[in-house]
Amino acid sequence: MAVLTQKKPMTIAEKFNDESWRRKFLNNVLIPWIFIAPLLIIHLYVVAVPAVQGIYMSLTDWKGVGMNVNFVGLENYRELFFEDETFGKALSNNILWMAFFLTVPFILALFCATMLSQVRRGGMIYRSILFVPYVLASVVTATIWKNLLNPQRGVGAAVDNILGLEGVFGVAYLGRTETALMSIAFIDNWQFWGFLMILFLAAMQSIPPVLYDAAKIDGANRWQEFRHVTLPGIRPILVFMFMMVAIFSFLAFDYIFLLTQGGPGGASEVIATQLYKNAFFRFQAGYGAAQGVVISIFAGFIILIFVTVKRRGWDI
Amino acid sequence: MKRLKILFAIAVLVLALAPVGAQDVTTVTMWFGEGSTLDCWGPLMLEFNEVDPSVQLEIVPQADTWNVTRTAVAGGGGPDIVRTPGPSFVYEMAQAGLILPMDAFADEMGWGDFFFDWALDLGLVDGQLYSLSDELETLVMYYNVDVFEANGWTPPDTMEELNALAEEVEAAGLTVFSHGNASWRPTNEHFVGEYWTQVAGPHKVYQALSGEIPWTDESLVEAIELLDAHMQAGWYGGGVDLYFTNDGVYRRTSLAEGSAAMNIEGSWAIRGTVDYFGESGQTWDWAPVPSHDGTDYFTIGMGNTSSINANSPHPEAAAQFLTWYFSPATQGKMLTNCLKGPAPVAIGEDVLGALDPRIARIYAALSDASANDRYGYTTWTFWPPKSDVYIYEEIERVWTGEITAMEYSEGLQELFAEELAAGDIPPIPTR
Repeated sequence: MAVLTQKKPMTIAEKFNDESWRRKFLNNVLIPWIFIAPLLIIHLYVVAVPAVQGIYMSLTDWKGVGMNVNFVGLENYRELFFEDETFGKALSNNILWMAFFLTVPFILALFCATMLSQVRRGGMIYRSILFVPYVLASVVTATIWKNLLNPQRGVGAAVDNILGLEGVFGVAYLGRTETALMSIAFIDNWQFWGFLMILFLAAMQSIPPVLYDAAKIDGANRWQEFRHVTLPGIRPILVFMFMMVAIFSFLAFDYIFLLTQGGPGGASEVIATQLYKNAFFRFQAGYGAAQGVVISIFAGFIILIFVTVKRRGWDI
Repeated sequence: MKRLKILFAIAVLVLALAPVGAQDVTTVTMWFGEGSTLDCWGPLMLEFNEVDPSVQLEIVPQADTWNVTRTAVAGGGGPDIVRTPGPSFVYEMAQAGLILPMDAFADEMGWGDFFFDWALDLGLVDGQLYSLSDELETLVMYYNVDVFEANGWTPPDTMEELNALAEEVEAAGLTVFSHGNASWRPTNEHFVGEYWTQVAGPHKVYQALSGEIPWTDESLVEAIELLDAHMQAGWYGGGVDLYFTNDGVYRRTSLAEGSAAMNIEGSWAIRGTVDYFGESGQTWDWAPVPSHDGTDYFTIGMGNTSSINANSPHPEAAAQFLTWYFSPATQGKMLTNCLKGPAPVAIGEDVLGALDPRIARIYAALSDASANDRYGYTTWTFWPPKSDVYIYEEIERVWTGEITAMEYSEGLQELFAEELAAGDIPPIPTR
């Protein structure tokens, strides 16, 4: 009959007297923490502390100037969700933006990456050309496209001139409520999708060629190869980018502010542009902070979805 | 011998520099937006350094000056001279104790002798002087003289005449007003303010600003309806959607080259107008913005303000610079050399006489309107911040047909009443 003996746990004093425990503690705990401490302290100072301050400010009526701050509880959030009609419009624009960026650039990037992965000679030239827009500053890209889409001197106007038409292609895409938001999304995507394509291409090139050979032997056509070999092979990066793009969609700001500042008539307003205006134009920094917290909550919610899916066994 | 010569030279140099080194030099700092304005203003402002060697001005170019300034000032730093985009911004900084009351300096340095009375009042917060207004502005109607003469047109005085002229301009295949907001969205508020003033009259606007009547007053709503009607008719830039995409280059070139007949814009646009018309070889002139009864009303605005940072280690030196900078002599020189909108100070007739008569006439007309109760109010100077943003953002919803002029006015009234109750209204010159 086996006798089970339970080892008595060591007290703290005993642990510190034990040479091997001390060495383990030093090597596995103390030294790593000493190395990471500078970074951790900087991170706490520049990220965690302002984040906590931001949450606190969202519960105040701070105007953004001086330190005359009054605690107002959840008043800013109540106003945001129950009184501010423009917030709902901005949120729906963010959702539209997300829908666009979770489809158009992904389809384009997957298609082109698949095509490029077949190219054996000169592929680098194509990749470089498609990636170049990504390295341009957003203000440069916005200025270029603002001129290209100008109804009087842009590409559309030139096409109209050539064809002898008037106002058919030379349309004020950024000046119409129906087209402003999607025109900006198009411009942003023009810069972004090349980056996505490069990521997918890199992931595709890491898929073992034997899998494709096996699929061919099994009689798979190109679509079936893509569906059953390529997509599962790049799934981790695909899902990760899905998550990142979904989060970025709530942070959309630069192109919108550069091209329309949320106009015309709020047609391209998103939460981040509203936040900026509240904090810096309307002197409602506390209210703006509340909008910032709401954006963070949305981002957290998206991460939660992906974490939940991963815990349920998805390989992401 | 050679060593002796070197030692002698060093001794002479040290002796020569000793008085300068021994003297205490106080440096007054000022942050200023980078660009062509600084290129012209900068050297003129630095002439201050020749006045008193013990006080020196240092201009630090900054992008996005206002946001950088207020962040730095709130953090206990920033320049000695705090420039803001207008009196409503001063109010917030004064309330927060970030800038100094300057009443003692005003008395000591005699600011009241050269500033107009109403202008000093603009810098009052709770009865104390916190800022000095700069860049006096108004809106006028620029027009292309060549186009007008070729078609036998004359500038309209009344809205009725404007209606008739607009029909003729459109019949001639031209745009009535060369305008658009793609470069600066708040440009919308120029028209809202002008239509309130020219259609309802400045007295009505004053009553609404004072809280005596609401913004939903019939005459004020009518003004917005008329602006919307003109916008829908395509007078501004050729159509509502084009207005939203027309930029500053379009505004200047279309007027200067004669594809548009007129342009309602601020006195700050003089320099650009002169440059673009210089390139096109055509001639420009201006007329007062047409009003409902033909009276020449001029809205008054301020481009920016100057205050003294509460954290400044030497406010006296900062005040000394402000005294020099706002003096009629300096302002006159900056107006002549850079076409800078002058501060509201009594600039001599000789300075105005040296200017292009068209430009001098703008400031003379503004001065006359100011003295004869024909002045109005620009929204960015006299409205509180939330109402101001509402005015230029929400008017686009009227133009795009999302809300009516009455709904727009109701929204403004609600917001304005809140700010009025909170005491956030900038000082308004009484009439």
